[in-house]
Formats: sequence, C-alpha cells, structure tokens
Amino acid sequence: MTDAHIAVGMLLILILTIFLGFPVAFTLMALGVGFGYYAYFDAARMWRAYDRALDSGGDAFTLAETWIGGFFNNRIFDLFVNQTYSVIQNDVLTAIPLFLFMGYIVERANIVDRLFSTLYSVTRRLPGSMAVAALVTCTLFATATGIVGAVVTLMGLLALPAMLKARYDVRYATGVICAGGTLGILIPPSILLIVYAATSGISVVRMYAAALLPGLALAGLYLTYVVVRAILQPQLAPRPTKEEVGDHTPAQLVWMMLTSFAPLAFLILAVLGAILFGLATPSEAAAIGALGGLALAAAYRALTWRRLKESVYLTARTTAMVCWLFVGSATFASVFAYLGGQQLISDFVTGLDMSPLMFLIMAQIIIFILGWPLEWTEIIVIFIPIFIPLLPHFGIDPLFFGILVAINLQTAFLSPPMAMSAYYLKGVSPSHVKLTDIFRGMMPYMLIVILCMVVIYLFPDIVYMLPDLLYGGQR
Amino acid sequence: APPVMAQAPIVIKMQTSWPASDIWMEFARQYVERVERMSGGRLKFELMPAGTVVGAFQVLDGVNDGVIDAAHTVPVYWYGKHKAASLFGTGPVFGGSATTMLGWFHQGGGKDLYRELTQDIMGLNLYGFYGFPMPAQPFGWFKNPVASVNDVNGLKYRTVGLAADLMQNMGMSVAQLPGGEIVPAMERGVIDAFEFNNPSSDIRFGSQDVAKNYMLSSYHQASESFEFLFNKDVFDDLPDDLQAILEYGVEAASTANTASAMDNYSSDLQKLQTEHGVTVHRTPKEILDAQLKAWDQIIPTLEADAFMKKVLDSQRQWVERVVYYELMNSADLALAYEHYFPGKLNLGK
Amino acid sequence: MLRYIAFADDLSAWFGKVFAWGILIMAFGVGYEVVARYLFRAPTPWAFDLSYILYGTLFMMAGAYTLSRDGHVRGDFIYRLWKPRTQARLELVLYFIFFFPGITALVFSGWKYAERSWRYLEVSSNSPAGVPIFQFKTVIVAAGILLFLQGVAQVFRCILCIKTGEWPKTAEDVEELEKVLLQTKSLDALKSEDEGILPPRELAAGREPRDRDAQ
Ligand code: NA
Ligand code: NA
Repeated sequence: MTDAHIAVGMLLILILTIFLGFPVAFTLMALGVGFGYYAYFDAARMWRAYDRALDSGGDAFTLAETWIGGFFNNRIFDLFVNQTYSVIQNDVLTAIPLFLFMGYIVERANIVDRLFSTLYSVTRRLPGSMAVAALVTCTLFATATGIVGAVVTLMGLLALPAMLKARYDVRYATGVICAGGTLGILIPPSILLIVYAATSGISVVRMYAAALLPGLALAGLYLTYVVVRAILQPQLAPRPTKEEVGDHTPAQLVWMMLTSFAPLAFLILAVLGAILFGLATPSEAAAIGALGGLALAAAYRALTWRRLKESVYLTARTTAMVCWLFVGSATFASVFAYLGGQQLISDFVTGLDMSPLMFLIMAQIIIFILGWPLEWTEIIVIFIPIFIPLLPHFGIDPLFFGILVAINLQTAFLSPPMAMSAYYLKGVSPSHVKLTDIFRGMMPYMLIVILCMVVIYLFPDIVYMLPDLLYGGQR
Repeated sequence: APPVMAQAPIVIKMQTSWPASDIWMEFARQYVERVERMSGGRLKFELMPAGTVVGAFQVLDGVNDGVIDAAHTVPVYWYGKHKAASLFGTGPVFGGSATTMLGWFHQGGGKDLYRELTQDIMGLNLYGFYGFPMPAQPFGWFKNPVASVNDVNGLKYRTVGLAADLMQNMGMSVAQLPGGEIVPAMERGVIDAFEFNNPSSDIRFGSQDVAKNYMLSSYHQASESFEFLFNKDVFDDLPDDLQAILEYGVEAASTANTASAMDNYSSDLQKLQTEHGVTVHRTPKEILDAQLKAWDQIIPTLEADAFMKKVLDSQRQWVERVVYYELMNSADLALAYEHYFPGKLNLGK
Repeated sequence: MLRYIAFADDLSAWFGKVFAWGILIMAFGVGYEVVARYLFRAPTPWAFDLSYILYGTLFMMAGAYTLSRDGHVRGDFIYRLWKPRTQARLELVLYFIFFFPGITALVFSGWKYAERSWRYLEVSSNSPAGVPIFQFKTVIVAAGILLFLQGVAQVFRCILCIKTGEWPKTAEDVEELEKVLLQTKSLDALKSEDEGILPPRELAAGREPRDRDAQ
C-alpha cells in the first residue's frame, strides 16, 4: 500500500464517519492531524535532540525528556496551527459573519408579511397570482437573508394557508415555497458563493457578477413554470375573489410597494451595486449591508435590544459552524495532497479518457448525489477541492464550474431523503399536507434546475456576460 | 552529530513566498539546480510555491519550527515580527543600489547585525543568507500618468511594508488589499494605482489589463535582495562541505538570477510596450524628491529603536564611503547609450 | 455531571456571546472605512486588519458555544433515525477518537505558536499602523481550551443519555427562526414589538433536527 492509497483510505474513513453523524469539523481535524502524524513521521528529525544528547552523554533526565519530546516533535503540529491561522486571517471569509448578520437582522424585521400581501395585491390579475407573489417574496427575502429555513417556514405559515384557503392545489402551492426559498443560496450576495470563492481562489466579485444572471434566469424559469401551469390548469390556482385580495387603489398599491418591496430591493441592490461597480470589496459591502439592515429594522420598528442580541448570537454560532469546517478541512486537505491522494485521483480521472463534457456531467452528477445526504457547506468545503485541480486538465473554467455547482446545489434542499426545505414546510403546515405531496410538488423544480444547467452549458454567455462587461474579458 | 553517509540524498524541503506562476519561482529553481549539482546528488530539494505548507508571509515561522527546512523569501514579509527586518532590503535609500546594500551585508557589517537581530534579539532557530540584488522596484501602475506631486496627492494606492508609510507621507491614501484582489480592485476603481514588483512579475500578474501607465524608478523598494532561510537544526546536522554548498550556492545563484532578471525583465518591459500598449514613464524628479523628503519623516521614527538606529548608522556609513566611489567612478552609461541608440531613452527631468 | 454540563455550557456561552458582539464593531469599523475613503478620501490603515481579526476571534471563540448548542454541521441523515441511547454510545467513542486528540493538538501547538508571537509582540505587516496580532494568535489556544472543556461536557451528556435513554436538556437560548416557528407553528413570535424571538420553553428539551441550512 502506497501513501497515496493511505490518503484514499483517509477520505473513505472521512465519508464513513460523516455518515455516523459526528460533527464534521472535528472529524476532519482529527483525521488531518492523525494521518499527518504518519505522513510527517521522520524519526531522525523528531529525535534529533535525543540523538544529540546521546552523543554528548547527557544525563538520564535530559535523555528521557528529549525522548518523550520527540513524539511531539512531528511537523504536523506546526502545520496544523499554521493552517488554522491562515483560516482565521482569511480576508475572503470575513464577509460571512457580516452577511449573516445582515440576514438575521432582516429576517427579524417583520417585513415578510407586508411584502407578501403587497405583492399579492399587485399581481392579483396574473394567473396563479398568489404563487407568483409567494415566489417573488421568497426570492427577494431569501436573497436578502440567505437563510433558507427561515424563508420556508415563514412562508409556510403565511403564504401556504392563504393559498390553501384560496383552494390552490397542495402540490402546486408547496412546491413554489420550497423552490423559491432555496434561491437565496444562488442569487448574490450569497454565502455559498463566498465559500466557493474561498475554496477555489476565485475573486468573490467575479463570482457574484457571474452568478447574477444565472440566478435571475433560474428565478425566471420558476416564474414561467408557475404562470404557465396556472394557465394550462386553472383548477390548480383559482382566481381570487374580491374579498380575498382586498380592494386597493393604485395609489395605495404604490405606497404598499414603497414601504415593503422597495426598501428591501434597495438594500440588496445597494450591496450588490457597491460590489459589482467597484465601490467596495465584498466584506465592505457586507458591512454596509449589515448597517443598512439595522436601519431597515429600525424603520420597521423591529429593532429591539432583544432582537439585536439574538441576531448577534446567531451570527456567531452560524459563522462558527461554517468556519470551523474550514479549520478542519485546511489541514485535512493539505495532508491528503501531501500523501499523494490528490495526485492519485487526478491520475485516475485523467486516465479514464473522458471528454470535457463527460467529465463535467460526471462531476455534476456526483455533486447532485452528494446533495441527497449532505449539506452544501460540507460538499463545497470537503469535496469541491478534489474537483478543482482536475478542471485545468479538461479546460473547464473554475468560475463556470462554480456557477453550475451553485445551481446544482439548489437540489440539495429539494431532494429526498434530506430535503430540508420540505421538512421545514411540512413542520409548519396543516396536518392534511403530506410530505409526499410536498416532494411531488418540488419535483418539477428539480427538473427546471437541470434544464437551467443545460441552458447555461449551451449558452455560457449567461455566466460571462456580466463579468466581461464589468471587468473586461479575461477568461 | 553522526555523519550521514547514506546513499540516499538528503532532501531539503524549501518553500518560497511566490505563487507557482511567478518568475521568482524560476529564480529559486536556479539556486536549487546549482546546489544539487554541486553536491553531486547528495542534496536534493523539494521546491514548493507559496501556500503549499504555509502561507507566503509565514515562511519564517515555518523554517523556525521546522515545518519546512528552508525558505526563499524577502525579509519585508516578516517585518511584523520586528520592524528592523525591513532595513534588510526595503529601508531608506541613502544612495546605494541593491548591489551596494548586498555589499554592505557581506562586507559592511550587515551580516553581524542580521545575526544579532535573528539570534540574539528574536531567538530564531535559523540561518539566513542574502543573494540577488534586485533592480529597484517600479513606482508602479497608474490609471493616468503622474507628472507632479500634486498628481499623486490623494490617489488611492496599494503597497505593503514601510513603502506604505512612505506613500502615505507623500499624501497618497494607502489601501490594503490582499494580492488576489489588486487587479479586480483596479478594475472597479477601489484603487487608482498600485505597485507590485518588476516587469516580469507584473505582466504575469495581469497589471497591463487594468492600467496602461507604468512608472519606473522609485525609492520605496530600491535595494532588496532574496533571503534564503534554513532551519538551524537541519543546517547544523549537515557535513561541512554541504553547509558550504548551501551557503555559497546563494552567491552562485545571485549571478544567475541577475542575468536572468536582466533578460526577462527587459524583454517583458518591451512586450508590455509593444504588445499591450503600455506607456513606460520615468518617475519625475519632483516625485522622487518628495519620496526622499518622506523618508526624512520616517527615519527618525525608525531610529527611536536602538537596534534600528545601529543598523541605519551602519548603512549610512557604508553608503557614504562606497557610493561616493561608485558614483565618482562610474562611466556615464546613459551618455554612451544615447550615442549608440540615439533618441530611445526618455529619462525625463 | 449535570453541574459540570451547566458550568461548561455557561462558560462557553459567555465567551461566545461576548466575542459575538465583535460583529457590531466589525460592521461599524468597516462601514467607517468606506465612508472615510469616499467622503474624506482618507482610507484607514487599520480597517483591513480589524476586519479579519474580529472575524477570526468571533468564530473561534464561538466554537465551544456552538458545540454546546449542538450547532456544528453533522451528516446526520442516518444518525437522526437512531434511538438516543445508540446515538450517545457511538458519539461517546467518537469523542475520544475524533475530538480530544485534535483539540489537544490545537491547544499545545497553538500555545507554542502564540507564545513566540508574544515574544516579538508581533504586529501585522499589512499596514504601517502596526496593528498587533499576537493577541489574535492566542485566540487559537483560548478557543482550543474552551472546546476541550465543552467536549468534556458533551461526553457527560453522552454518559447521562446512555444511563437514562434521553439526551439531557440543553440550556435555553436563542434559536434559529425556523426552529421557533416549527415549534410554535405560528407567526406570533414575530409580532410582538419589544420582545425577542425566544423559543418556547419546551423546545429546549431534547434534540431537534439541526439547523441544516442556515447559511
Ligand atoms: Na438533499
Ligand atoms: Na513591491
């Protein structure tokens, strides 16, 4: 067995223990240090002080001390702390707590019900108007907060009862909420894209510019689907009665839009604009967004001391959850590569004689399947680094690959058995809504995601147009 | 120590502070090739780019701890641990070139002061050697050409180390940006100008895509050399002849690097002009004057530290004597160049 | 054992929460940088260092707090199907294989690393401001020690669960919104204007599905 085989063994043990349910960050850390101890074991160096003491006839105490000390003189310990330090001073990841904080503040700002009822009143003449309103609310809210679970449960308590009361089809109504809430991980400012950028070394700014049109395209496809289904099968989404919508004058509607939709949209556009048009780095824009979120919450009179405190604490916990994964994976990945595991995988894959398209499809299928049991954080931090070094061989741009991954990972929330969107929705919906209904309702959106990936593969300009326009063509 | 006479070569793990694509990786390789051949295959290097084991700025820690055996770096990368590190290459320019200052290191007392800093003051477990006197680093890349001190006043500029103090003293706003964000930041207008290193590194970095004015000549980093670090235990365990090969190999690589730099830097500068439409300017004298005045502001603050004062005194003493000779003696090369290649130079005023 | 668990939970939460407030300093500090750059054309020499120092400190010091609230990512799609006792037995073993060795290494090697930085009183080389970073390197050690202490509490939790067949209660704390909503099945939590969104008391008992998608 070569070192490279041992590295592959290390990966298999990791996968096995992930499935045992132990917190992944610590598993990564322990495997990295443990296998690293083997990889960097060098008796001559570790017991150099002991050998010197022997040569110079040191006393028994010195001999014992240097002999025991030798066991701790393995380079892996220094590597471990060095890698840890490079994670804690990573200037790309600094944007994560700031965006999370913005998200938690906005999430608690009492805005979602206003937003939904406004959009519903505005779109009432459209087929499937409530579903359209729910989708737009989900998209906007998820984009601003980036917190999928919160969006889905909020909308499950707000939009779902309204839709069911309006005699909407259960599958049709639940699908739109699950899919819409998940869009927040794709449309920038998205934390998933920051994590991918930190993992692959791509500029976050380019990543954001590249993801914007695909994100809007996917939202557009969802919207098209919702409306077309409502036209083809009107019984899925009966037109609302007057009393259900309420009667609003155009002036009232404008005012409602100005007080609900506009501030949130402005916040998102300000943050994105600052980044894309070069006024600020992503971390700076995130800080501005966090301050803007505070102002917004204050304007909605939802900025209480208690809520601020909660947002601060949740930010710390969620940042710790994401970033400790990086602490674990930094040493793990370094040891994995040092043992030759990465090379072995590269040799194997390049030896398969695949075309770039075949490789791309295979990679996306693997990521899709990983999305069944795992979360996007684990997939990007642990598995994406294995794919990235293979990309140049197939002439695939890691930026383009990243966008496909971000779209693909939408399905991680929608695909059973661990379709968290569905569980969240099930958890807050009336008992007659069955989990299987929700799954069936989500299925079309999974197909749309795949369709979207095919479209983007065929028309890569959707990805490149904005970055090329803003930053000049440098593929 | 027991003599190591085994057949298998001794492997030295050397990490640089440069990305794999940088020309300085090739310069490091020139050292490695020379040493391996001189040792008759008894020494073998594993040469790794920045980030393989530790980050670019962490190689000193890495060598000290023995995570890596050796490093190829510059001292300005660890001046956060002791500001005096910046005096070994990126300190005030009293009139000496990098060659003058490498001479100071070897012959003018620099070596002893370096030993005092690393061993006595900082207690580091390593040896450091210096080689390759670098051409002065350009003032950098500007969106618009600058002709006067007024033009640079208020510009948002990116640099690191003592150079940041210097530029700030000249009235620029110094922005700190991670290396990977420099080019996008220029594209987006977060900064108006930046300096990196030399035509070859700059062209590989993509500078020409975001700015078209390249200002040459500056006092901010005019006398730098490479620093070759070796873990003390690893070095001490080697037999005498291999120690000598590692140390004097630095001197050998210094000449190879210089030749390679002349060749590459000049042809890349040409490429920048002809293929990328970059305009090369000589930094106006007015700005250089302002830089010296800015150094005047900084030197007293540096001298507040007794050891730094000792180093600066030693450097001034060396420069005063040596550069007097150099300047008085050197042939006017510009005159000769102008004679044989008339009308090409534009040294400005 | 319960007393130690309560002690460790409180300790971890105290440190995690205190440093969590760094997010506000970060938002205002970095926000100030942007304003200073555009309005006064005078970028600060410290905002860049400040931002990563606060980020690193915040998430490292929250590591134990997050562990005490069971907030670290797990691949738990099989795990959650098991009885608590099975979960606890396995987890007890895994703590000794996958937790303590790595965390111990973090504490000791972090100590060596930080101690040297203290010796130089190391500052950041990013700017002339000379922002100190030796205290920042010490965060690695502090976070490691907190995690170790919290890890012991988690082991006690496993032992108690093996004995009683049920996971001991976690301390009452702020929860993700979806968790609160799943429990209350009502939007009332959002309505009150001066109250926060604290979970109802019964939520604190037992283990709920984790916040898998918080991002
Ligand atoms: Na899934
Ligand atoms: Na430079």
